[in-house]
Amino acid sequence: MRLGMLWALFVASGKMFVRNRVAVFFSIFLPLVIMLIFGVLNFEGSTEIQLGIVDEAGNDASATLVDDLGAYDYLVLTHGTRDDEMAALADGDRDFVLVIPPDWAIPAPGGVTGLVAYASNADPAQAQVAQGLLQQAVGQALFAAPGGGGSAAGVAPPIAFESVESRDLGYIDFLVPGIVGMTIMQLGIFGVAFGFVQLKRTGALRRLFATPTSPSYFLSAQVLSRLIIGLVQVSILFAVGIWFGLQMFGSYLTLFVVVIIGSAIFLAMGFAIAGWAKNEDQAAPVANLISLPMLFLSGVFFPREAMPDFLATITGFLPLTYVIEALRAIVNRGADLLSLGPELLGMAVWVVISFVIAVRLFRWE
Amino acid sequence: MRAMTEPSTHSVPAVEPHPGRGLGAPIISVTDLRKQYGSLTAVDGVTFEVAEREVFGILGPNGAGKTTTLEMIEGMRPIDAGEAVIDGVDVKADPREVKRRIGIQLQSSAFFDELTLVELLHLFGRLYERDVDPMALLDLVDLTEKARSQVRTLSGGQKQRFSIASALVNDPRVLFLDEPTTGLDPQARRHLWGLVRTIRDSGHTVVLTTHYMEEAEELCDRVAIMDNGRIIALDTPDRLVDALIGRGFTKDRVERLANLEDVFIDLTGHDLREGD
Repeated sequence: MRLGMLWALFVASGKMFVRNRVAVFFSIFLPLVIMLIFGVLNFEGSTEIQLGIVDEAGNDASATLVDDLGAYDYLVLTHGTRDDEMAALADGDRDFVLVIPPDWAIPAPGGVTGLVAYASNADPAQAQVAQGLLQQAVGQALFAAPGGGGSAAGVAPPIAFESVESRDLGYIDFLVPGIVGMTIMQLGIFGVAFGFVQLKRTGALRRLFATPTSPSYFLSAQVLSRLIIGLVQVSILFAVGIWFGLQMFGSYLTLFVVVIIGSAIFLAMGFAIAGWAKNEDQAAPVANLISLPMLFLSGVFFPREAMPDFLATITGFLPLTYVIEALRAIVNRGADLLSLGPELLGMAVWVVISFVIAVRLFRWE
Repeated sequence: MRAMTEPSTHSVPAVEPHPGRGLGAPIISVTDLRKQYGSLTAVDGVTFEVAEREVFGILGPNGAGKTTTLEMIEGMRPIDAGEAVIDGVDVKADPREVKRRIGIQLQSSAFFDELTLVELLHLFGRLYERDVDPMALLDLVDLTEKARSQVRTLSGGQKQRFSIASALVNDPRVLFLDEPTTGLDPQARRHLWGLVRTIRDSGHTVVLTTHYMEEAEELCDRVAIMDNGRIIALDTPDRLVDALIGRGFTKDRVERLANLEDVFIDLTGHDLREGD
């Protein structure tokens, strides 16, 4: 192991990257711009209230109430068990969870409703408005219900609210892990493929191997420099994200581990392309063919849940999907490595697949 | 038109000391070197020796096998058959050790475009695990002004000169130059000849390939002429010419005391031009 040689190649390959404007644009500047654009465009401006319903009564009365609530456009109902709904509330996926207790009946006018709603404490200002809207909806539903009637709504608030500790996740919390995933993919595939193919085409690599150095030193230096650049990039993206209100619930160490494993996948893909291609014209379409579908199908910008089931299932196996889901779990839920088993397994399989392909396709000349 | 002299693959004239310069013992010895690409025999049994401090030229038309021969000796291309020993090291057995002792200028000299000349020379120094003085090397090739520029800003002639500087970072026992002046204008070419002489005078052995016979006459102690993968003549330029005349050769047009290139240089001067 000749550390001086490795270090010199590492520094050189880092300098080459930083001075290559195209590479810097696509791997550092572009993700930042995308984040700024999506950060400024606010996708959260809707007045919809995410209402989780825990129907423990399960009788005609509760069914009537739920039906009536369903008629309100601004209420988005989700049904589930108390545990599930409360967990969703804690994760910021619900604004309220309305619990209809066992043996619930529509109360007489002016009577106590017995309804409890748990409210997220994450955004007090917004909660105030939402509470009013929910009170109004439930009051009117009770008023309209057979056996209800009267002026119940006006007399006593129909729901007792309880505040619950929860995370209010905004779009920025969804976006930043996605952009980080996208960035390490771009850095790996494009950052390696183009620079390397260029060195190969011009003969700069041949010149390098006219010295007593060995290919493994050059490759190691390339990989190491890209990893360091990747970590710097991720740090910049997080700094900007936090400025936009990103909340980080997990540890940065865990995050960096996932970033490094993810980078390994895409660096290997970059070397596979670069090793196979004779020039940039061959490398470009292949690099795009691999990265573009993942950009749109791995949930970088929008949740995969919005996809049809079969597509969501297929895209769940994409390497970028594993990386992004692991990143989201860390950032949004504070997941540690132990709880990331499935994602880490998926990434490990892709590391192996890409390395095998890279080794098989690689040609120095 | 084939071989005017007998192919001299097995009867190589011994190295003769150049008048006024002491040549040493053989530092390169190549024996029956061969390279096959499918049905094409690129190098077909090449044998020669190069003495220490000699400037040895390999001449020949395109496709004669000059570059392939050179690259096999340098350890850049696998040797199919035969043997090459440089400075006591068998190229086939230890190509890396050979590379450690030689300097190589490739025909197409490309470098990492985004690095400056000084950075590149430092990097190359590290690859030989040596500390180099980049400014001294750049001074040798007249590129000190470009020290902090990136390689991509260099002209063709400057790139060739830098390429030679980069091949000297390890103070090589043998310097290999593959068509060092192809594509250069007469001024830049003459400048490079001066550089090769300086390098020779500082005690290095030089092996070069060229298309230009004038260049070979100017620089080389001995030349090997290759065609179809074989050496068809090997001797000092003077003796090759004498031998031809001795066979009764006469030129249609008697050589004048000057030629067009002399006129060109006389009119435009020896100075290197902007960008060269």
